[in-house]
Amino acid sequence: MNMIEFKNISKIYEDNTVALKNINLVIRKGEFLFLVGPSGSGKSTFIKLLIKEIDESNGNIYIAGRNVCNLKSSRIPQLRRNIGCVFQDYKLLPNKTVFENVALTLEVIGKPAYEIKIRVPQVLKLVGLYSKLNSYPYQLSAGEQQRVSIARAFVNRPPILLADEPTGNLDPGTAEGIMKILSRINLIGTTVLMATHDRNIVNSMRRRVVELEEGEIIRDQKRGVYGD
Amino acid sequence: MVRTRYFFSETFTSLKRNFFMGFTAITTVAITLFIVGFFAIIVYDIQGIMSSVKSQVELRVYLKDEISEELKEYIEQEIISWEETESVEYVSKDLALERFKKQMEGSDILKEIEGNPLPASFDITLNNPEKIDQVELRFYDKDGNFIEGVDDVIYERKVVKPLFSITAIIGTIAFLIIIALLLAAIVLIFNTIRLSIYARRKEIEVMKLVGATNWFVRIPFLFEGFFEGFAGSIISIILLYFIGNFLLIKGERAIVDIMRIKELAIVGSGNVMLYVYVGVLVLGGLIGILSSVIALRRYVKV
Ligand SMILES: Nc1ncnc2c1ncn2[C@@H]1O[C@H](COP(=O)(O)OP(=O)(O)OP(=O)(O)O)[C@@H](O)[C@H]1O
Ligand SMILES: [Mg+2]
Repeated sequence: MNMIEFKNISKIYEDNTVALKNINLVIRKGEFLFLVGPSGSGKSTFIKLLIKEIDESNGNIYIAGRNVCNLKSSRIPQLRRNIGCVFQDYKLLPNKTVFENVALTLEVIGKPAYEIKIRVPQVLKLVGLYSKLNSYPYQLSAGEQQRVSIARAFVNRPPILLADEPTGNLDPGTAEGIMKILSRINLIGTTVLMATHDRNIVNSMRRRVVELEEGEIIRDQKRGVYGD
Repeated sequence: MVRTRYFFSETFTSLKRNFFMGFTAITTVAITLFIVGFFAIIVYDIQGIMSSVKSQVELRVYLKDEISEELKEYIEQEIISWEETESVEYVSKDLALERFKKQMEGSDILKEIEGNPLPASFDITLNNPEKIDQVELRFYDKDGNFIEGVDDVIYERKVVKPLFSITAIIGTIAFLIIIALLLAAIVLIFNTIRLSIYARRKEIEVMKLVGATNWFVRIPFLFEGFFEGFAGSIISIILLYFIGNFLLIKGERAIVDIMRIKELAIVGSGNVMLYVYVGVLVLGGLIGILSSVIALRRYVKV
């Protein structure tokens, strides 16, 4: 089953920057895919299109077979609840605790309090942050904040998880820890798409690699490596 | 699914953060609604006074002494047949003198009266005092003289006319002040909500990215606006309660005594105050919700 399909997708920003050019790509259910490429090659743009944070200029995107390009704005929340997203800048709320930050995803769906009390600690255990339940983001290291962001994206078990440079700025050890978590999430059937320019990680994982350059796909390789 | 706990804690946090702005907004709503309520009571009462005064207005038609019995009866039948006539009383010369004597009891004037100088009259009470001019005209012929048998027509024009225009002026001024204040209150609540939205713009962005609907994002702000309007109206009700009980009622008793008006609906009698309280509450809540809806429409986009 095709989980994500890009058909002739282009994105031109308001200032005429061409971020993506005529992208065609199919990602199957349960796949783990690295999106690599130099800074400014369009990786974040790719991810933002998927959660409709921005609109495409041309082409169509299908998610689980459904064209999401002409989605009514009232249907967008439903789409986002099915796509967990780990943002490049974490997007944690500074005045809320780790627990509350992660709980937000469930609050938004209207999950009852007792369910939130069970699920949030569960997912925090998965990312190894159970002991930081009541800490605030500023009391955490960058790697820990990154993991809170993963917990928040995954706590409602979405079928798709997008991660935008989840290991950026982290030391190799911490990055490896985060990759273990993502692998585990992928192992239970979640489709994972991760944008990165971390050469070591891509090479050690040996998963599908799609390489972007100036908004175009220049390579799509099964069990690939970062580059030449 | 009801997320009351979540919404309440969000609303509370927001109110705490914007305490000073919220306080200003609540105070403005309180003052506005107090004035609205106060004028509502005053206007209600003036209307009460007016209708008591108005219904006491009567038209007195003095008859010539030499009027024939037939003509007198003809005029009386005419008056009765008019739809404006509530009642008509014939006061004969004797009756008029008797009443006059009673009124002037103990006065020297009585000694100087020889015979009976007072004319007979028809005293007409009108069911609609505003038609008084129209009715008066019927006692004139086309040349502007009184019709046969009629000597003079009088009524208390001096009292009636100014009272009408005073209510109109008070009403208009009150209305303008109230409109201005309502607008000020709306703008202030609008501003607190705008600030809250601004303070939480990052939170709103994140909430939407993890799948919050517009309504989920809006509800805490609606609560906040509603709370500010509601709190303002509660304060104004407390003020109105004290003012009503200690000032208005006393003032009105004085007016009632001076003007000798019976059957006046005094503040505190009947349900006047209750209606005002309910009205103020509803208005406060509406102001709050309306202001936040305007702010949300402008600042929370999909
Ligand atoms: N909001 C925007 N308005 C205009 N241009 C933008 C905007 N966002 C991104 N761009 C441009 O689009 C191109 C692709 O940006 P994008 O953020 O997708 O790159 P990236 O691959 O994620 O880079 P990085 O690895 O540094 O995160 C860049 O040239 C960037 O300057
Ligand atoms: Mg990026």
